[in-house]
Amino acid sequence: MADPSEKDQNPTGEEKKEEKEPQEAGNGGGEGENDDENGEEEEYEEEEEEEGEGKGGGGPPTEREKVQSLFRRLSSGPVRLRVHDVVIRGNAKTKDSVIEAEVLDAFRSASTMQELLQAAGVANERLRRLEVFDSVSITLDAGPPELPGTSNVIIDVVEAKPLTGDIGIFTKPEARSWSLEGSVKLKNLFGYGDIWDASGAYGWDQASEISAGLSLPRLKAISTPLVGRVSLLSQDWLKFSSYKERLLGLSFGLLSTTRHNLAYNLTWRTLTDPTGMASKSVRRLLGHSLLSSIKYTYKIDHRDSHLRPTRGYAFLSSTQVGGLGPDSKSLRFIRQEFDLRGAFPLGFYNSALNVGVAAGVILPWGRGFMDLPSPLPERFYVGGHSSPVCNLSGPASLLGFRTRGSGPTDSRRFIPSKSDDSPTFPGSDVLGGDLAVTGFADLSFDLPLKLFRESGIHGHVFVNAGNLAKLTENKFKDFSFRKFGESFRSSAGFGIIFPTKLFRMEINYCYILKQFEHDHGKTGIQFNFSSP
Amino acid sequence: MGDERREEKKGSLVLVARKSCFGLPTACPSCLPVYIYLRFADASFDIHFDVSNPDSDHVPYVEFGDYVAFNNEKGGVIECLKEDSIVDLDSKLPSLSVPEWVSTKAMISTWLAEAVQYELWVASDGSIANKIYFSDLPWPIGKILHWKQTRAVKQLCGITSLNAVEKEAEIYRKANIAYDALSTRLGAQEFLFDSRPTTVDAIFLGHALFVLHALPDTSVLQNSLLKHANLVTYAEYLKTDFLEASSSSSIPRSPFDASSSSSMPRKNASSRWRSEPRPKAKRERTEEEKIFRRRAKYFLATQLVAVIVFLSLFGGADGSEDAGDYEED
Repeated sequence: MADPSEKDQNPTGEEKKEEKEPQEAGNGGGEGENDDENGEEEEYEEEEEEEGEGKGGGGPPTEREKVQSLFRRLSSGPVRLRVHDVVIRGNAKTKDSVIEAEVLDAFRSASTMQELLQAAGVANERLRRLEVFDSVSITLDAGPPELPGTSNVIIDVVEAKPLTGDIGIFTKPEARSWSLEGSVKLKNLFGYGDIWDASGAYGWDQASEISAGLSLPRLKAISTPLVGRVSLLSQDWLKFSSYKERLLGLSFGLLSTTRHNLAYNLTWRTLTDPTGMASKSVRRLLGHSLLSSIKYTYKIDHRDSHLRPTRGYAFLSSTQVGGLGPDSKSLRFIRQEFDLRGAFPLGFYNSALNVGVAAGVILPWGRGFMDLPSPLPERFYVGGHSSPVCNLSGPASLLGFRTRGSGPTDSRRFIPSKSDDSPTFPGSDVLGGDLAVTGFADLSFDLPLKLFRESGIHGHVFVNAGNLAKLTENKFKDFSFRKFGESFRSSAGFGIIFPTKLFRMEINYCYILKQFEHDHGKTGIQFNFSSP
Repeated sequence: MGDERREEKKGSLVLVARKSCFGLPTACPSCLPVYIYLRFADASFDIHFDVSNPDSDHVPYVEFGDYVAFNNEKGGVIECLKEDSIVDLDSKLPSLSVPEWVSTKAMISTWLAEAVQYELWVASDGSIANKIYFSDLPWPIGKILHWKQTRAVKQLCGITSLNAVEKEAEIYRKANIAYDALSTRLGAQEFLFDSRPTTVDAIFLGHALFVLHALPDTSVLQNSLLKHANLVTYAEYLKTDFLEASSSSSIPRSPFDASSSSSMPRKNASSRWRSEPRPKAKRERTEEEKIFRRRAKYFLATQLVAVIVFLSLFGGADGSEDAGDYEED
């Protein structure tokens, strides 16, 4: 057992990796066992991959011996060590309390060296997740000489530049397609780890949005991050359903983990029809409404890749309840979506079979709900150009049909004229459905050329089907599963997929197997985009 | 006619108007004249209330199958109905009275309408407007829209904080002049012009009923109207006669009936109704434009695809992307 000397063993700056070591502020009971650590100056740097391994980096043999003996001691049994003090350096703007709140409880529970090193890693990750620091490093220093068996934790942070901006292409969970978004972020304005951002987005489906948000890592007692957002969004559906949507909304993310997501949304929505051509069903639904809803999403994705899944499964369940709040005049509805995917590898050519089925239903609630219509923008619309394979987005896509290209429709306004000319049909509005079911099967395989294989370009053959039905306003009496099954729209095709860093592009040839009157399905070559 | 769909509903005319209160079939001062007009014409129609569009000028509107007459088009619902020959009250107006008829109509539609708007939005405490327009909307929306509408009316009347008093006096002065003129015009007759109801009667009756029933007793406008006894009698008498009588189930007398089923107008072979034609030249141009646009889209798409193929082949896209969480410890 080597005697640890008073020498400083810290290879300064060399191997200061980004680690955080949680430290207790020395609250432990006076259990400072007088081991050989008495009055030592030891600094341990912890690497994330290797636990409890200090790198002496080619020092004198005595150093190495010292380190080796330390390891022996560490591996032989718990080495009692507690934290005396936490020193935070480098935070000009960030409040100490913010950093301490992230790390203290991890350190509090550590009473041995091993636990301390583990806790350090945890704290490191937590502080990094705040996104307000450029780099974080934690070193364990020996405690004051008069207190044996203690150590100090020194946290060095480098704060990030306060203002950043970026531009990119994203898919938001609420959006059904991707959008070009530019945003400006102000980090840590008040020192509480707060991130303010303002962004403008222009979406592929003629949606434009300006929003500003605030995210707080924690608010007093609540330890999950809180996100609040104010947004003004305008979306143009004139071509498909003869209405324009304008939303002024306030949303709060209440809970956000890898699997669960809970958000509250308060929105003032206005539907207008500046052209005056809307059909009767849409015309009746124009106007102002208040949406106060909670949305809970449960999502698991165990597939091996987002761009080209070959094995695994994924599941999404999304529930939205609208009409919460004392005001009975806000929109009241319940919307439920399910989405199940599976990917199965087949032996040859790196091919895989992806299958998926998705279903959704929306119903109003409240007095006399059977006669009420469901809100127009919340209904399900099946169609569009985004591939169903990668993203879990509910029953929404049907390749081969244009956006909102299938389902119940209503004829638009008829404008009479006095002259003798052949009548032209004014077109029809897509109304969406209250019940939607879609399914697909997709077989992907490598292309024979090595060039393609290396860059990830592969081919696929697919078939997909979908259907919509109206249930509200007493239409559920006419509904029958047999009729629903018989009226499924379907398409099949093949194509090549180009996965790039920004998005996933497909060039497909789609053949429409079955479509009905007023659907907009087109057989031919199409480009489909989806976000990775 | 024997058309099943038509016999199902009692007349396929539907009037969509704002809600009914204060004992009036519809309490909004711009919807009430349309209602009365349809009643005068003895048209059978259903009324449907719209509660979500208090600030939009397309309400009231009349639907007849797939045909719609909005209030913000072509001079208003009544004008549209007359022009499209659906319901026309004024077809038999003697040509001699036309100039006076037109100026009376203009006077009611401007001076008296402005006075009502002023009383409803600016002069009162807002409770009447709330009841008519915003009582079925959620509270925050109602409050904001009410404020917006008040500001809009003030701008329309040209009222600012400096000239508020003079403007108010001017509005009431004009209203008084109008009432005097109408009272003189009416005399002891049953209707304002001719011995039958015309559009002017409908508009004035709508105004009078609103002033008498919806505005509070302290209203200046109501007090001015009450000074003219013959106008008040006229209003009450017509109200009992036309509005409170049970709605007739007669088939609409409009010539529009002659055509076949209105709910499928495109199959209509009648020469009256054709969809709006586009001038031939414009249609051809649009065809060419469409072809050009399609070709341009294909061209751009090909360019984009070429760039992407180049990037992915030679830029090397990332392989399977994992979630990126690296293992710790």
